[in-house]
Amino acid sequence: MPADTTTDEQRPGTPDDAAEVGRGLDALDTPTEQRTPLWKRLLTGIVPPIVAVVLFVVVWQILWASAIWPEFKLPSPESVFGTIGTDIADGRALAIVWTSISRAVLGFLLAVVIATPIGLLVATVPLVRSAIGPILTGLQNLPSVAWVPAAVLWFGLNDQTIYFVVLMGAVPSIANGLVSGIDQVPPLLPRVGFAMGASRSQSARLIMLPAALPGFLGGLKQGWAFSWRSLMAAEIIATSPSLGFGLGAYLNEGQSLSDMPSVIAAILLILVVGIGVELLFFRPAELRVLRARGLATGP
Amino acid sequence: MTATLERSAPGPRTGPPVLDVKGVSKVFGTGNDAVVALDGVDLSVASGEFVCLLGASGCGKSTLLNLVAGLDRPTSGTVETSAARPAVMFQEAALLPWLTAGKNVELPLRLSGVGRSARRERAHELLALVRLEGQADKRPHELSGGMRQRVALARALAAATGLGEGGTTRHEPGVLLMDEPFGALDAITRDVLQAELLRVWEATGTTVLFVTHDVRESVRLAERVVLLSSRPGRVVREWATASDSDPEELHGDITGELREVISAHAR
Repeated sequence: MPADTTTDEQRPGTPDDAAEVGRGLDALDTPTEQRTPLWKRLLTGIVPPIVAVVLFVVVWQILWASAIWPEFKLPSPESVFGTIGTDIADGRALAIVWTSISRAVLGFLLAVVIATPIGLLVATVPLVRSAIGPILTGLQNLPSVAWVPAAVLWFGLNDQTIYFVVLMGAVPSIANGLVSGIDQVPPLLPRVGFAMGASRSQSARLIMLPAALPGFLGGLKQGWAFSWRSLMAAEIIATSPSLGFGLGAYLNEGQSLSDMPSVIAAILLILVVGIGVELLFFRPAELRVLRARGLATGP
Repeated sequence: MTATLERSAPGPRTGPPVLDVKGVSKVFGTGNDAVVALDGVDLSVASGEFVCLLGASGCGKSTLLNLVAGLDRPTSGTVETSAARPAVMFQEAALLPWLTAGKNVELPLRLSGVGRSARRERAHELLALVRLEGQADKRPHELSGGMRQRVALARALAAATGLGEGGTTRHEPGVLLMDEPFGALDAITRDVLQAELLRVWEATGTTVLFVTHDVRESVRLAERVVLLSSRPGRVVREWATASDSDPEELHGDITGELREVISAHAR
């Protein structure tokens, strides 16, 4: 059977011509992706923040040298970096940071395990959404440090208190991230899935969850930030020898000894951990997910 | 037998219809706000037939398609399909953006539990059928609009025909429901894809129910054009596009009737 399908049209040409035209269109219309070279990405991504940090330290040095504020209020960059240096050299900094990070990571993972089913329920069951959706958003806005006094009275000065505060900080953000991720899935996708005969669980597993992944990842990122700051709040307020010595306790100790270099060193370490986790884990994961969907913009 | 001859004799096809819509009505809302989208629509489509549902906006042609697809239920009347499940194609390709073209085509097979290597092979076969060989590893955003819509066509064919000749659904060429699938494409791409669709239809023997508001498209593609009126949607008239009738004349005829149906709403 000849594949001449266009006989009822006064169209010149043979199907081979049509195929040629089709191939030509494909070649013309295919989006071209321009990848910026590595050195350019490094130049635009890494150099500006380094310059900003250097400028900041220079201004700090100038302010310190002009002696506007007394030394115990504004220590020199040298003394702060010296404190960090000696703490790192004798292994104290590593022990302190490890205490805090291990708590934050454990608390964060626990929060993911608790928040994911909550988010799924809120997103998919209208009754649950109208019942606890607003509470979840409210809890997200409540500074989790407000839970510290209650937690101390409930659990005493131990790790349970710390984890409770971290969970109260992280669970609402992660759950809400998942909810908004699912809400933003284009309604056509589950329809297509249904038209192809997907069961409810198949639709959830193969279509809804992957489609909601960018939003969920955003929620995870925010959940980590909330875990980290809740942990710091808990560690600063609830200090006890039985609680171990984390970054919050280190900060607290600096304050009670009026040791300004230690205080600023602690703040810098907290900042570095926050930025480090973002850059090492969340940024690459997010880029990967967005790039696979053609959503990533910029370098 | 040539394709030309086949198209000139769309006449009575043998066998029971694969799609049978009987007295279907669909009402949205209740009371005074109720909108009658479809009112007593009868439509039957034979196996292997290519039917276009034509109508102005608001004529309920998409509603009818959704009812046939099982995405919605009629208020009254019955929709019977002999195919296990008609496959649907929409105006947007609606590909899953995180899956490659090949995995998108595999998805309906994966949903029905086909093994990895068999569905891979079938996806390659179908991508080749829509002239996308070698593009299986591309993601939707790396393809043009026309190519995405062809991936969607391959996926719909996978849903409609399963594993094709090699599989268990040996003699089931499937049913394809298409809801203005080329509406969002530019004129040149649309022209090419119409030719591709006809080629694929003749190669596979699939039954096609195609919704459009473009008279020229319906005359070019369909063996039978069904005109629906608007609010309420009713079947106004049908034309067989046999090749002995002049397409231009037929186009004029249908356009005249469509204009009449639309201007009835001005009064």
